[in-house]
Amino acid sequence: MNWVTIIWSMTAASALTLAGVHGFVWFRQKKQLASLMFCIMAAATAGMAGCELWAMNVTNMESYAHALQWYNLMRWLVTLALVGFIHFYLGSGRPWLEWTVCGLRTLSLLVNFIFSPLVYYTSIEELVRIRFLGAEVTVVEGIPNPLSIIGQISLLVLAAYLVDATWRGSHQGHRPGAVRVGLSAVFFVIALSLQMMFALWGFIDMPIVASLFFAGIIVVMGIELSQDMLRAAKLAEDLKMREIELKKERGLMDAMFESAPGMLYLQSGEGKMVRWNSQHERVTGYSNAETAAMNAKDFCAEAERDLLSEARDIAFANGGNEVEFDLARKDGTTARHFFRMVPVDVAGEPHLVGIGIDVSSQRALAEETERQRERMAHIARVASVSELSSSLAHEINQPLAIILSNAQAAQRLMAHEKPDLVELRDILEDIVSADIRAADVIKRLRSILRQGKPVLETVSPRSLFEQALGMAQHDLKSASVEVIRRHSKKLPEIQADRIPIEQVLLNLIKNACEAMEDNEFRPRTLSLMCVNEGPWLRFSVRDNGHGLRDAGQKIFEAFHTTKPNGLGLGLTICQTIINAHGGKLWAEQNKSHGATFHFQLPIVPENL
Amino acid sequence: MKHPETVFLVDDEPALLKALGRLLKAEGFSVQTFDSAMKFLSAPRHEGSGCIVLDQSMPGMTGMELQQHLALKDSALAVIFITGNGDIPMSVRAIKAGAVDFLIKPVKDSELLKVIRAALEKSRDMLAAKAELSEWRQRHEALSSREREVLVHVVKGLPNKQIAGILGVVEQTIKVHRGRVMSKMGVDSLAQLVLVAERLRLK
Repeated sequence: MNWVTIIWSMTAASALTLAGVHGFVWFRQKKQLASLMFCIMAAATAGMAGCELWAMNVTNMESYAHALQWYNLMRWLVTLALVGFIHFYLGSGRPWLEWTVCGLRTLSLLVNFIFSPLVYYTSIEELVRIRFLGAEVTVVEGIPNPLSIIGQISLLVLAAYLVDATWRGSHQGHRPGAVRVGLSAVFFVIALSLQMMFALWGFIDMPIVASLFFAGIIVVMGIELSQDMLRAAKLAEDLKMREIELKKERGLMDAMFESAPGMLYLQSGEGKMVRWNSQHERVTGYSNAETAAMNAKDFCAEAERDLLSEARDIAFANGGNEVEFDLARKDGTTARHFFRMVPVDVAGEPHLVGIGIDVSSQRALAEETERQRERMAHIARVASVSELSSSLAHEINQPLAIILSNAQAAQRLMAHEKPDLVELRDILEDIVSADIRAADVIKRLRSILRQGKPVLETVSPRSLFEQALGMAQHDLKSASVEVIRRHSKKLPEIQADRIPIEQVLLNLIKNACEAMEDNEFRPRTLSLMCVNEGPWLRFSVRDNGHGLRDAGQKIFEAFHTTKPNGLGLGLTICQTIINAHGGKLWAEQNKSHGATFHFQLPIVPENL
Repeated sequence: MKHPETVFLVDDEPALLKALGRLLKAEGFSVQTFDSAMKFLSAPRHEGSGCIVLDQSMPGMTGMELQQHLALKDSALAVIFITGNGDIPMSVRAIKAGAVDFLIKPVKDSELLKVIRAALEKSRDMLAAKAELSEWRQRHEALSSREREVLVHVVKGLPNKQIAGILGVVEQTIKVHRGRVMSKMGVDSLAQLVLVAERLRLK
């Protein structure tokens, strides 16, 4: 064993190993043509190394020529494979250069076979044994063949091709690794050209050692390719991890989807059902297959479909919405549901995602509560009315009973033989006073319920407010209501019936206090205002309580009330009083909280 | 002293009180009027027969409360209610508590007088029953303790022999006791004795 044998056989062996590895890679991934080219090149390089070793050890001319012929075949293969590799790996070579390299090499190969036995020499003078790396090897001495220039040129064109491809590749933003491959190929090819020329022209005595240069290229290529493979493997690993994470995420999402207490859904912009949870299936009664063919509006009771489509439009426009409608089930029944919808982008298409919750029981409960409340209020009202009527009855009954009993006593006295005239006079007097009393009751009632003509006097608006406030002092204090006065600076005196107007103000102030009873977090504030508006003076009583529970004029109707103990007569009476003054009473819902009651009185009343 | 039969009027309305008083006096009744239940109660108790015409709704003590008060005091006064705004449950309660009638104002004189007469009759009956009861009570108290024991067993319907067994004496002794009880209580038959025992709540 000498160094030559060791180096060449090891070169061949390692080249073959690399060829095997990348041949396998190509076999698994047929699209990796660079690997195939590398495999061919490595295998051919191994062949070259073998041929060189063979040539170095032959002792006769004929064998040397054979070895050289096989060697040239291998070189041809190596060159083509190298061009192919650069073509597929860098992808930046000029095709015409590629063809030129391959053509020249092929020509050189043909020349090699035509001018058998040798292309390098026109005639071989002798085989010389020289010492090379401590071993005796065979070299040839002869006249160089001018045609061997084809091989030299092809090598130079190859070098040019590699330089060009590397240059262009580096400018196309290739990986530095790919550029390294190109550069090393350039280096080794140029080194090989120089060595060949020196050897051929006899400047140095050396056997053919081209395989070593190609082996050098192969090593660099192999390193880069394996790094590529490592990278690919890493990528594959990452992908796998990502996939596992995605799967986990997906599992979590699914679990969340399923565990939601209500129906979850994903619908396309047109309402087509995309995804839904099993709760959806359970609630609607439609199977998954049926649901897949349905539209969002199919789940909505027909009467409310417009409401739904409007709600969907708003959801898209405002980035979300909430709506309540009757969900139509497969069995034809409906159930009140609350839906929240949020627009999302799924693969660039607008979708709606959301949740639906059954609120029918809450709704029914709320309705029942409301019904109960109304019933209670009604009972209370009826009770109050009956109380009123019974107290009225008592008021009138009492004098009637007195009159009747007195009259009958008189009748009986008259039946006596000697009627007591003094007693009879007393009786008649009592009858008259009882009668007057009954008439008074009726008059009072009339003045409450009907329009009576007000007795006008000159009053100052401020004093009206102050009198009413004085009477409401107790209510204001116990409810800790803050009173704010916002009267115009100059207020004219008006002609009005003082007591009824004060009653109206008192009633409005008391109503305001009651409306603010439930103010837990808002301080109770009562604003009183009197302003001059042309021929009118406007009185306003503003609170920040619960506001008008029923909008409109209903509050002025007799026996309409929202108070559990109310009779529903207060505002009716107030309105009667104000109307009798030729004025007007009305109510307004405040923009923030509470309500404001206004009444207008003419500053100079006419025709009253 | 013989107590005159009296009609008591209690009403918070003086004019009505006066009118009703006139009416009843014209018919010859002895009448006393009070404008509140408290005033009536603070007057000396009436021992004879009589009736009370009560207004149901009065400030202070209501008519119904006064009725309960009278019942507790074991009064022999018959109660008549008269009210401006009575309802059925109220009248039912009043009648159940022993009221003779429940009248609604204004009341016709003939009706009022009819009811008052019926009430006075009832009062007299009550007074008689009370007198009878106290007579029987006195007689019962005059019995010896052994006789009272025998009486209890007799009205239970036990035969002499069994009573003798219970009390640990001979039958003959029971017979003697029994005869004495009958004569002391002033009854002729076992049936009468049972009735008396019931009135005296001896069972």
